[in-house]
Amino acid sequence: MSLDDPDGELVRRVGEGDALAVEALVARKLPRMTALAHRLLGDRAEAEDVVQELFLRVWKSAGAWRPGAARFDTWMHRVAYNLCTDRIRKRREVALPETWDAPDPQPLADAAISAEQQSDAVGLALAALAPRQREAIVLTYYQELPNRDAAALMGIGVDALESLLARGRRALKARLEEGDD
Amino acid sequence: MTEPMDFARFETLVAAYGATPNRWPEEERAAAEAFARTDPRAAGLLSQADAIDALLFAHRVAEPSRTLRAMVLESAPKRRRIITRVRLWWGALALALTAAGGVLAGSAAAAALDPVTANVQLYPHDDVPSPDVPEENAL
Repeated sequence: MSLDDPDGELVRRVGEGDALAVEALVARKLPRMTALAHRLLGDRAEAEDVVQELFLRVWKSAGAWRPGAARFDTWMHRVAYNLCTDRIRKRREVALPETWDAPDPQPLADAAISAEQQSDAVGLALAALAPRQREAIVLTYYQELPNRDAAALMGIGVDALESLLARGRRALKARLEEGDD
Repeated sequence: MTEPMDFARFETLVAAYGATPNRWPEEERAAAEAFARTDPRAAGLLSQADAIDALLFAHRVAEPSRTLRAMVLESAPKRRRIITRVRLWWGALALALTAAGGVLAGSAAAAALDPVTANVQLYPHDDVPSPDVPEENAL
């Protein structure tokens, strides 16, 4: 049962209330899930709220978790993804000014640019992508989900995922080059 | 046997997944790698894709804060505390039962050693007139 799921045994122990297993699961998943939420939402504080909600659901579900079609990591991604997209949807409901746009990323051409500045510039460019393109890139590149899992999470086929990835990569490059001008 | 890859598919694949073969879909990886080794057009595509990969992987996010970690751990159910509470409860009950048993045993021992006191204890209201007898007759 847990042979197919690298988290299966740990989750079973979490379900039994094993405090060491709880700590191990948090050590294993907290950075990964925080990074996912941070990149999808572009906001650290909101990402932390999402992660807390996600882990509340983990504690609630661990006891009843039965290995099935999905791995536990995929299930966590699904919950986190849904929590993030709900928040993004609510942001859109709060009307943004017509002219609202993400700030321009800083240029990357300068060889002396620090890694931190470069990271910030890419972060801004990511935040400026169309949400579905950003989701596809975050799930595939940063979370390293297999293409089928990423597509299933987004409720699309692999072809559509590939199209979003290609457009997202082009847009990201164009945006960062714009910043160079 | 893997199907050979054509240029169009290789172009799509690299545009979507970038230049690193590890990211290419597993079922197409061998064919794509073979294409990259043999087709001279592949190098240009891979070079462009590699530049975008480098941009993407320049992005870093902060590690979760200690506060967040502490809050997440605090939100986990605490089995051991529940067990401790149950143990305390049973402990208190056992103590109470032991104490009650001790009192009973003590009373029984006292009765065996002192029959007068024992009678008083067994019939503590012998000095009170029986309720069957009217009070005036008793006097």
